[in-house]
Amino acid sequence: MTAIETADLTKEFGSLCAVDSLNLNIDGEIFGLLGPNGSGKTTTVLMLTTLIRQTRGSASVCGYDTLKEPDKVRGCLSYVPQDMAVDTNLTGRENMLIFARLYGIDNPKDKVDELLGVMDLSGRADDLAKTYSGGMRRRLELAEALVHEPEVIFLDEPTLGLDVSARKKIWQYIHNLNKKGMTIFVTTHYMDEAEKFCDRVGIIDNGKITALGSPAELKAGLMSDVITVRIEGEYHPVNKDGILYVGNSGDEYSYTSENGSEALPVLADALKISGNNVMAMSIHEPSLDDVFLQSVGKQEEEQGFEEWKYRLMLRRR
Amino acid sequence: MKGVLTYMHRDFIRWIRYRVGVVSALVLPAAWLIFVGLALPVQFTGNYLDFITPGILVMTILTAGISSGSLLMFDKILGFLNKFLAMPVPRESILVSKILFITVRGILQTTIILIIAVLIGATILNPLQYGLIYLILFLFGVFIAAFSTTVALYLNDHDSFAAFTAMVTMPLFFTSSALMPYDVMPEWLSMIAHVNPLSFAIDAIREIGTGAIPIFPIALLMLFAGVILILAGHMFRKLTV
Repeated sequence: MTAIETADLTKEFGSLCAVDSLNLNIDGEIFGLLGPNGSGKTTTVLMLTTLIRQTRGSASVCGYDTLKEPDKVRGCLSYVPQDMAVDTNLTGRENMLIFARLYGIDNPKDKVDELLGVMDLSGRADDLAKTYSGGMRRRLELAEALVHEPEVIFLDEPTLGLDVSARKKIWQYIHNLNKKGMTIFVTTHYMDEAEKFCDRVGIIDNGKITALGSPAELKAGLMSDVITVRIEGEYHPVNKDGILYVGNSGDEYSYTSENGSEALPVLADALKISGNNVMAMSIHEPSLDDVFLQSVGKQEEEQGFEEWKYRLMLRRR
Repeated sequence: MKGVLTYMHRDFIRWIRYRVGVVSALVLPAAWLIFVGLALPVQFTGNYLDFITPGILVMTILTAGISSGSLLMFDKILGFLNKFLAMPVPRESILVSKILFITVRGILQTTIILIIAVLIGATILNPLQYGLIYLILFLFGVFIAAFSTTVALYLNDHDSFAAFTAMVTMPLFFTSSALMPYDVMPEWLSMIAHVNPLSFAIDAIREIGTGAIPIFPIALLMLFAGVILILAGHMFRKLTV
């Protein structure tokens, strides 16, 4: 049994296709769905958690179809939305007891004590949640999501709005849960976090998965160095052997090459000759950000796609 | 049923923690009862307090319930509803718990009003009569709570909903039989008052005071409450698919 499985999962809102033919197979891992705001991440989670109905296709969680057996699906998953919905005028313990009772846990008080301990909230359990920091509220929500020992947890932007140390802590907990055998489905638009903490990621843009695999696999699709160039004014494309254009975000244009320090002066000259106003250049190792640029670029120019792939293959030989 | 009770428990704690809200919910009807019930120079009845108490009881339920549709609306806006809907608890129990909570909270308030009324000179009734009064208040409470929740789900915006409740509360009260009997009303007002659902509840409670058992008004209130409940359920299901 696969924890999460989708087949051509599609959601249309009127003429807008929010999620387009999603095919996923996720089991026992931390899976990150990455993409910019409005790319279809939350819509996907809402369909998988039975909160909205898909237009086409099917999805199953823990082996149960989300449309045919929604109650069983809800029984084996937990969903933490991005809103930070914690009752601030209730204590942490009261918040948790409500969830434990709703899930019909046998010994709600013991279970709550245990989970408050797991999430390092025992010391503040009887304070009102409005005195909690953002990171503590998130941990409280995570603790709530664990009361019925779900097999799958959906976390929508779990680190949104948290400071660096709180984010790290949240990911630590997520990692520990996964080690205990829980499948974790995370959405985020922080590429760096996904790269560090997810076993596998899917990049989604305009409702379509444009790249799928482990961060390392995806980065292997690029050459060993990435050169980022900041260009002011109009961009004039250049074509140089051994240097491939990846994509751009705003006025930053990225290229990839096997030897960045040799390619950089070549690229600088070529860009100047073509009439570009180069402001800054930098070399770094490929990151998921670059993978994202690459995959989005691929999608935008469909016919250029095959040629792109072909040239990359030639370079790698 | 366990889900319903847990959801209600949550709303009760949240309500009690807002102490100002609890106090203000009691001050308004108590002020009406004392200032209008004791001070208004009326000729058409010997004990105006006995006459106006049913009106104030029903008004208490009305004001306690009419703005409470925002409870479910805020759960939706703040993200609680999505969390609850993703649980294996029957989804309808969220709606049922809201309506029951609003009604029970209104009934707690009316109990205090009843006690104040007796303290300042209203006639003491027998236990059966009080039981029937509570039945009517409960049915009317369910009617108002379901109505308010339906409108809130339909409007789906807090400002519009606040404007709506401000608009309907006072006109509903003043066009009912709360303050005066039909025969001293101007004819146009009497016509409106006869079809105002508040009047059904108020008149029924007055009938109990005279020793009768108002079967027809109780049946009518049941019908009203039932129809609005079906509507509320329909709106809720539309929201959750």
